[in-house]
Amino acid sequence: MTVLGTGLVVWAMVLTFGLTDGLEHALRISGHPLDIIVLRKGATDETGSSITPQQAQELATLDGVARNANGEPMCSAEFVTILTKPRRNNGGTTNMIVRGVETIGRDLRPDFEIVQGRDLRPGLNEAITSASMASRFENLSLGEKLEINRVDFEIVGFFEAGGSAAESEVWTDIRDLASARRTPDAVTTVNLRVSDESAEQSLIATIQDDKQFNLKAIEETQYYEDQMTSAIAIKFVGYVIALFLTIGAMFAAANTMYAAVANRSREIGTLRALGFRRRSILFSFLFESVLICVLGGVLGCLATLPFNGLTTGTANWATFSEITFSFRFGPTVLMRGVLIALLTGLVGGLFPAIRAVRMQIVNSLREQ
Amino acid sequence: MSEPVVVIRDLHKEFRRDAIRIPVLSGMNLEMAEGDFLSLMGPSGSGKSTLLNLIAGLDKPTSGTVIVVGEDLSDLTEGELAQWRSRYIGFVFQLYNLIPVLTAYENVELPLTLTGLSRRERDQQVKTALDVVGLADRMDHFPRQLSGGQEQRVAIARAIATDPTLLVADEPTGDLDAQSAGEILDLMQRLNSEFGKTIIMVTHDPHAAERASRQLHLEKGVLVDDVSVTATNQEQP
Ligand SMILES: Nc1ncnc2c1ncn2[C@@H]1O[C@H](COP(=O)(O)OP(=O)(O)O)[C@@H](O)[C@H]1O
Ligand SMILES: [Mg+2]
Repeated sequence: MTVLGTGLVVWAMVLTFGLTDGLEHALRISGHPLDIIVLRKGATDETGSSITPQQAQELATLDGVARNANGEPMCSAEFVTILTKPRRNNGGTTNMIVRGVETIGRDLRPDFEIVQGRDLRPGLNEAITSASMASRFENLSLGEKLEINRVDFEIVGFFEAGGSAAESEVWTDIRDLASARRTPDAVTTVNLRVSDESAEQSLIATIQDDKQFNLKAIEETQYYEDQMTSAIAIKFVGYVIALFLTIGAMFAAANTMYAAVANRSREIGTLRALGFRRRSILFSFLFESVLICVLGGVLGCLATLPFNGLTTGTANWATFSEITFSFRFGPTVLMRGVLIALLTGLVGGLFPAIRAVRMQIVNSLREQ
Repeated sequence: MSEPVVVIRDLHKEFRRDAIRIPVLSGMNLEMAEGDFLSLMGPSGSGKSTLLNLIAGLDKPTSGTVIVVGEDLSDLTEGELAQWRSRYIGFVFQLYNLIPVLTAYENVELPLTLTGLSRRERDQQVKTALDVVGLADRMDHFPRQLSGGQEQRVAIARAIATDPTLLVADEPTGDLDAQSAGEILDLMQRLNSEFGKTIIMVTHDPHAAERASRQLHLEKGVLVDDVSVTATNQEQP
């Protein structure tokens, strides 16, 4: 019973921790330390921003912008829009991020790679996305057509981008998307990489201080950290639930141990009559309780393994779009689970164990 | 003559339940010499177990002196008492009180783990004790695999494993059929005559009581009717 109860609690907690860990991970690896996101001044996220194509081109020529292997500046003008699209399995509708990019945009994502199908060709209204997005949204399978302002975009490939936020997006060519949106040449954000850390702050300053630009530049890591509010909210709720579950499990453990103590009071009396000290009996009961709970905890951890890497999604509270991410059960998450089980056993077993040895020997012996 | 094993003087014991005082023993005196085999009879609730518990250092008297194996028990702290019990007292209970998850061997070994003996020495003692009760071949059995009489013999082996001075037995045959009871009583007699154990045994059965060298009755808080053949007698306020 207690094994099961503790197991369930640890299972639920490890799932919660794994969830927040995965979400944090997704947001964290999305932010490259050398990357800068440029938005219009006053915009808080990419969709609420707009930049002129001229400005975008000027940004590429600034000092400190890194260059790729071909010598092109790593400066990607992007057009981000949000659509409301149906989820699969009648899951209602939810927001989907569609990002129009230039070729260079791929170099700015970690480990960008086409894993199925092929990359999109500009000018043909083609789109690519991740396999996990395809499983969450209607019309995102290979060969299917996603409608954007009555223009159909054919899904021609699936990509991966190291588990970053890009895997929660649909990508098209920037001009194809902007024309579909009836705003040809529009750019919402510029994503650029600096050559080294020392250049980063001066480049940010250059962009911010230019009155003509009227732009804001933030470090990408900072940008995603600001979006972590949802991760933090889930984490908070997770901790509150974890706390109550743990207290519940402690009562369950205490209950089991009280029963054990009551059932074995004659045994306890006998041991003490034989000359065993209170302390050794106390420890053996505590040990038993901890053992039961840790066993439950380990079982609970094992039961979470099928979820490892399983992809899920949650609303990103900043853009109200879905971001997909995977459960992550690292050693720390599992250790936390087992530690909580240990604590449960210790606290839950303490009072029954104390009762076990507080009893007078003669009274213990008189019990059935 | 050597020092008596048990000396009880003006022993009073009462229990309190809420505000009510229940006097159980009132001014009892008793002396047991080394090698005595004493049987204690008396109506249910007369305080036989209470007296046994006081002698074995499981409970404290309300007043009076209890000296066992030369030790005034009121001088000992609880921890010292526990150690003292493990050295000098062997317990035999009516319901055997074996630990169900331990084998016969492990049950007998249990009190020996409190001594400083090595594994080898403990093994020796356990096997000797099981030999004495005739259950050496059952040492790997668990209590539930044994009959009541066999369980009680294992319990006796546990009681003698540490070679204690005094054996206290509270209705050791109370839960057994006549034949098993006879075997247990034979064993008790043998422990007394062959191994020189001082024994105090509570019983309801007059036939069992007759096996002892000395019979006492507990009535209204004092010992009466000491039909001893060997020892000195006392009592009566
Ligand atoms: N721990 C205790 N608390 C309260 N009353 C007790 C306790 N132990 C024994 N008594 C009472 O003392 C009396 C004697 O009990 P006991 O020594 O067990 O009798 P016997 O063994 O002769 O049947 C009984 O009335 C019993 O209810
Ligand atoms: Mg009794």
